[in-house]
Amino acid sequence: MTTRTLDPVQRRAIRQRQLRRASVYALAILIALWILLPIWLIGTMAFSTQQDVYGYPKQIAPIPFTTETMEFFVNQEGILEATRNSVLVAVITLVLSTAIAAPAGYAISRYFFAGRDAFRLGILAVRAFPIVILAVPLAVTFIEWGMFDKVYSVALMHTALTLPTTILVVSSVFASIPREFEEAAKVFGCNAYQAFIRVVLPLVIPGIAASAIFTFVMSWNEVFAATLLTIRNRTLPALILYSLNKSSLQFQYAGGFFMLAPSLVFIFVIRRYLFNMWGQITK
Amino acid sequence: MFRTKFRSIVILVLVAMLTGVLGVSAQDGSVTFMSTQFNIVEESDKIRTILADFGEVEFVPSEEGPMIDLLRAEAETGEGSVDLIGALHGTFPVLQNEDVLFDLSDLLAQLEENYELPESFVELGKLGTADYQYYIPWMQATYIMAAHVSALEYLPEGADINALTWEQFAEWAKNIYDGTGEAQLGLPVAGLFHRFLEGYLYPSFTGGMVTGFKSPEAVAMWEWFRDELWPYVHPQSVTSYEFMQEPLLAGEVILAFDHTARLINAFNDKPDEFVGFPAPTGPAGLGFMPVVVGLGVPYTSADPDGAEALIDFLLQPETQGRVLQDLAFFPVVGGVDTTDLPEGVAIEAAAVEAQAASPDALPALLPVGLGDRGGEINEIYRNAFSRIVLNGEDIQTVLDDEGAALQSLLDETGAPCWPPDAPSEGACQLQ
Repeated sequence: MTTRTLDPVQRRAIRQRQLRRASVYALAILIALWILLPIWLIGTMAFSTQQDVYGYPKQIAPIPFTTETMEFFVNQEGILEATRNSVLVAVITLVLSTAIAAPAGYAISRYFFAGRDAFRLGILAVRAFPIVILAVPLAVTFIEWGMFDKVYSVALMHTALTLPTTILVVSSVFASIPREFEEAAKVFGCNAYQAFIRVVLPLVIPGIAASAIFTFVMSWNEVFAATLLTIRNRTLPALILYSLNKSSLQFQYAGGFFMLAPSLVFIFVIRRYLFNMWGQITK
Repeated sequence: MFRTKFRSIVILVLVAMLTGVLGVSAQDGSVTFMSTQFNIVEESDKIRTILADFGEVEFVPSEEGPMIDLLRAEAETGEGSVDLIGALHGTFPVLQNEDVLFDLSDLLAQLEENYELPESFVELGKLGTADYQYYIPWMQATYIMAAHVSALEYLPEGADINALTWEQFAEWAKNIYDGTGEAQLGLPVAGLFHRFLEGYLYPSFTGGMVTGFKSPEAVAMWEWFRDELWPYVHPQSVTSYEFMQEPLLAGEVILAFDHTARLINAFNDKPDEFVGFPAPTGPAGLGFMPVVVGLGVPYTSADPDGAEALIDFLLQPETQGRVLQDLAFFPVVGGVDTTDLPEGVAIEAAAVEAQAASPDALPALLPVGLGDRGGEINEIYRNAFSRIVLNGEDIQTVLDDEGAALQSLLDETGAPCWPPDAPSEGACQLQ
């Protein structure tokens, strides 16, 4: 008697499962391509020669490889400085936003207090308010407080803009950690603070990392506040985003790649934590 | 492990904050020049190179909207970081309403001792006021006429090519037709022809762009255009002429009107064969359409003296020549040395200058205040042309029809009259 013989019903079940798998994979590949192809195209063009950039059909790989366009772009006045500003703003925003959102998110998910729902709604309302109509009053306030045209003032603005979403994400992450873990830690002699640091924090790090990515990318791409609040200390998007579509083709690719790269690098660095989180959810 | 991580984060933040703050305070003592022109990075780079000869200038390219917001905010607080602004004429009426700009009359008086500025542009900078100089003209782009040298022999007797009247111009076109047997005047009807009607014919004949749209002068103008000029216009104008440089170079036409950027190849490729000259003059003056860029100083400028010195620098003929060469905007001052420029650019520069400096110059500006509906006004002028000249409809009827459309456009957008029409309270009204 061979165990390999399967009756038609079983065989159909297996085939169906394979089919479902294949379709899921196909869909996943499609979604990945949808995101990766433009990135690949921008990357290729940013490192191609001028003729290749204007030529048709576009080539698949940057051969011959040249850094000419990138060098030209990076050497434009203000680009490096703007990049430094952008990184600074993004990092400060990330740190401030996380430092405020983590306790806030913890409080919302763990404690019941008067006005909790109103508070939640209030947080979202900030996001619903169009920043454009605030332009002049915002600029006025920043000038009056002597904070105009400073890197950290853009970071503060970005923190305010990202906080609502960050708080909500972080609070849902905390909500996914069973309260019993903390209670168990307390049973074994931890105080509330230690229980948080030793038990809860390690578990929420992936979620916080995810919200940090969001914060970083949002700050990195933000144009309006950065344009409004700075003159000399422009961030990279404020410096080039408006003008990029009016520039030459090579320049557009180089600028696009330059805008893209740091976010990609950042996500790569932080991806370990992300995979952790997804691992927890699926297993 | 967490402690070390925490520590490194704290250090990171401190370092970030410090460098951020220090980076800011190190850059004072220079003039901040915010401009809505040259905000493409390559252009910004070129203008920065030019500005470097002045000294410490922070050139900040900006979009129009954010610049206006910022100036309003600075005016409200009374503290400013922008010392000088450069913008299209159309931006300044908004800033006039917000009352954020210095009167530059004194500076203008000084500048006029050293440079020849066209009176017409200086007048534009007053924005309809008697003596408040909101901006000093900086540079311009415009439309001019071009002719092949072979056309010159048909020039009417006693006519000066640099001071033609429209009557003489029509006679010239007719002479060419009679002499060569072909209609060889080209108008870019498939291109920017509406500017010819809005900025050249209408102002030259009626003194305004919109108010005299259906006036008796306009009727006479259309009659003249239909009967005296159009028969000598190359028939392909209607269907295929977008850039007049092409038919000029191909020899299809020997006389043409177009934007400087759309004629430049003809002048550059065959500088010995083509001449550029200003638009002709009509009964009401020399109507022409300049794109004027002006320089203004906000009240809140931290360094108004620096800003004024920079304006002076930007108006120097050498600076204007470099802007023309590198950035293709034409000078507003006389005496720019064009010997080092590509020949075609030099030819155009001479015509542009002669046009703006004419004693009868009547600059007609791009429509101001129509917002998103700026394109509709062009259609109205083009419709009038098609119906009157191509379809042969009755002039007064067409003008009444299209005039009603024009009036409702003005009423709906609430646009007040803009130069060369006299300023109006509320929406501009046709006569």
